Amino acid sequence: MTGLYDVSHRHEEGAVTVAKHPVPKGQPILELRGLQKKYGAVEALKPANVTFLCGEIHAIVGENGAGKSTLIKLLTGVIRRTSGEVFWCGEPVQLSNPTEAIARGINAVHQEVVLCPHLSVAANMFLGDEMNKNGLMRKRAMTAAAQAVLNDLGFNLPAAATLSSLTIGQQQLVATARAAMRGTQFLIFDEPTAYLTRQESAQLFRLIRRLQGEGVTIVYISHRMEEVFELADRVSVLRDGTHVGTRKIAETNDAELIALMINRTIEQIYHKETLPIGATIVETRGLTGPGFEDISLSVRAGEIVGLYGLIGAGRSEFALGLYGRQPVTSGEIYWQGKKVEIRNERQAMDLGIALAPESRRDQGLCLNLPIGLNINLPVFDRLTSGFTINRRREIDNADRQIKDLKIKTPTRRVLASAMSGGNQQKIVIGKWLSHGAKLFIFDEPTVGVDVGTKAEIYRLFARLLEQGAGIVLISSYLPEVYELADRLHVFRQGKLVASHGYRGGSHEDVLTQAIGV
Amino acid sequence: MTVEATTEAAPVPKRGMNILFGLTLLGLLLFLWLVLGFATNSFWTPNNISNLLRQGAMTAILAVGQTFVIITAGIDLSVGAVVGFASVAVAWLLAAGVPLWLAMIITLLIGVLIGAFHAFGIVRMGLPAFIITLATLTSLRGIGLLITNGSTISITNEAFTNFSRANFLGVPSLFWMVIVVAIPAYVFLHLSRWGRYLFAVGSNSEAARLSGVNVNRTIYLAYILSSTCAAFVGLLLASRIGIGNATQAEGWELQAIASSVIGGTSLFGAVGSVQGPLLGAFILATINNGANLLNVNSFWQRIITGALIIVIVYFDQLRRRGSR
Repeated sequence: MTGLYDVSHRHEEGAVTVAKHPVPKGQPILELRGLQKKYGAVEALKPANVTFLCGEIHAIVGENGAGKSTLIKLLTGVIRRTSGEVFWCGEPVQLSNPTEAIARGINAVHQEVVLCPHLSVAANMFLGDEMNKNGLMRKRAMTAAAQAVLNDLGFNLPAAATLSSLTIGQQQLVATARAAMRGTQFLIFDEPTAYLTRQESAQLFRLIRRLQGEGVTIVYISHRMEEVFELADRVSVLRDGTHVGTRKIAETNDAELIALMINRTIEQIYHKETLPIGATIVETRGLTGPGFEDISLSVRAGEIVGLYGLIGAGRSEFALGLYGRQPVTSGEIYWQGKKVEIRNERQAMDLGIALAPESRRDQGLCLNLPIGLNINLPVFDRLTSGFTINRRREIDNADRQIKDLKIKTPTRRVLASAMSGGNQQKIVIGKWLSHGAKLFIFDEPTVGVDVGTKAEIYRLFARLLEQGAGIVLISSYLPEVYELADRLHVFRQGKLVASHGYRGGSHEDVLTQAIGV
Repeated sequence: MTVEATTEAAPVPKRGMNILFGLTLLGLLLFLWLVLGFATNSFWTPNNISNLLRQGAMTAILAVGQTFVIITAGIDLSVGAVVGFASVAVAWLLAAGVPLWLAMIITLLIGVLIGAFHAFGIVRMGLPAFIITLATLTSLRGIGLLITNGSTISITNEAFTNFSRANFLGVPSLFWMVIVVAIPAYVFLHLSRWGRYLFAVGSNSEAARLSGVNVNRTIYLAYILSSTCAAFVGLLLASRIGIGNATQAEGWELQAIASSVIGGTSLFGAVGSVQGPLLGAFILATINNGANLLNVNSFWQRIITGALIIVIVYFDQLRRRGSR
């Protein structure tokens, strides 16, 4: 019994042999003793003692940069430990490369899907482990087998479809199904729900519980406390590379966990100040474009307008339309009372609109360029005198944002790719703070961001509002928009279907409107 | 893998690394010169050094233009053909009685147009850079051959042909042209915002667009600069050989790309400099020159050049990984 769909027995040649049923439930399956990882002189993970029990769901929480990823990489053999010991089923193991980890039944599902977008769902599920007959792939058999697995899991996904035709959430489910069917005994989820809709998350949770029922040990990494309490049996907390404790979920609460993580209380996270509402900054009337239809709303100085909906509901598309990135086919935009047409991004910026886009990786950052260049990118025209850039101003501007936003980097010359999710988000925000704007659009600003940074971002919102700006906050995380937005608009299938005042309607109402049942 | 490195472990790229890499290349170049000085009697003769500088100069200028394009994560395969075509253009114009200064300006404008056409194909028609520049590579050779009817046009303008043989302050004028190109290129790439935009577009064009960078204009700029550099080299080549011939400069595009890559430019975009390709071009020129002096079979020269590209770029990869 190794995972739900152990299809590895069908191998004609060179099958990976996994010791079946290694230890009884509740006994230690993986023990870390003094596990440590150093990069040069820096300890990314200080000597940690953690025991994972067979068949449990073990959550790991901690802020970005706390050492969670280092731990995962150690367990999956991506990096090698500096010192310490790892015991698998009571025996010392090396875990020196990914192949060894996978051979022992240790797999990971990552936050961002690492599969081949151009291949079919079935081909991805069998990737590297294809069914062969006489050296030829049995494509039809694989599609049928993959479809059977997907159906059985209750995922309504076509196995023959190209992976890239699915939403990111659906791709995540495929990645999980892939791990589930290959003899996994120990499955690590690294923030799997960051890009999932609520239904997709629910499907994923059902699958996780089912795997647990089959005796698979689950490690679940998340920033979302309610998920940890919904799923986990035990939870370990990391802070600054130190394992600060492990608790049984029944014997702890989120206040204690957050205190362990950051030494800060939960009330301080959602920072909301009621400010006098000023004049209307922008108003759209019947705005229609690709992915959104007939959107009429307005944003006034000093208020946060929340846009809530499922992924693909048209919120981001509306934002891109307003920003001039997508063509608007009909409808009108009034900027401070005057009718305007916004044909490109530069026009939007010149009016005073800033957009921190949905995906840091694809839209927000030039990852392989320095932090400083990223921060300065929207304002190079202002940093230029004559033909050349004023080097002093360039450096000062970057350093000021790094300092103001507390971006954790030794210098502005570090590449953006070396930063954690929270710090990357701060770089994106820093770009727009240095440019300045009247209207800030934040699209999913806290995805993959730790609690501490979230609190900082929310405080920053308040600061922008005090300065007379208006904010559009797009989020798939209901508590966030619910607690922060002065007005909350619900999107469904490209249309604005409902509006609420500050904390108007119940969570259930808003959700129902977004899902449309 | 998630890229969530712990913040403390984030590597600090030292600015020294780039300088170090530049110095390594410079060291390699000097090492080659030293070795050739010992191995041959004729290497350190004024004649040979002038010759070497002339040989390297034209590739160097092409490589600088090519680097602008590669930084935007593009490629320009047409530069060799543009050189040949420009030599035909200037020879034809001179033969038609057009004054020299005007013939030169028109030739450079042809370069501008070719670059603009490349960018048009990429931006408006959505063609991959590889395809559109491959298409002009073959078409330009064809047009050049049509104009000359497959033969060559001799250039009788002495002022023009003497230029490439002339020296200034004891240094060949062709090498001075490298400096004339390199200094503004350096200012453009490393000191102006346009340079920053090239890097940003090469790294993530969508992020650049959403930050208000005019991505299309940046791409036009890169390809126009590359083709104009190539047309300029066409003028230099015509001056050097005294003819216009559409089949000249065969394979120079690969020399230019190789120089650029040896000089540390990443074919994935967003990494590159002006000094790197210059050094790369002169390293290649030195190898060819040295191989000639050592009477190495010219077939072997090609093999050695290929092997050297692999070695240098491999070490560059190691360096990057090491600094990560």
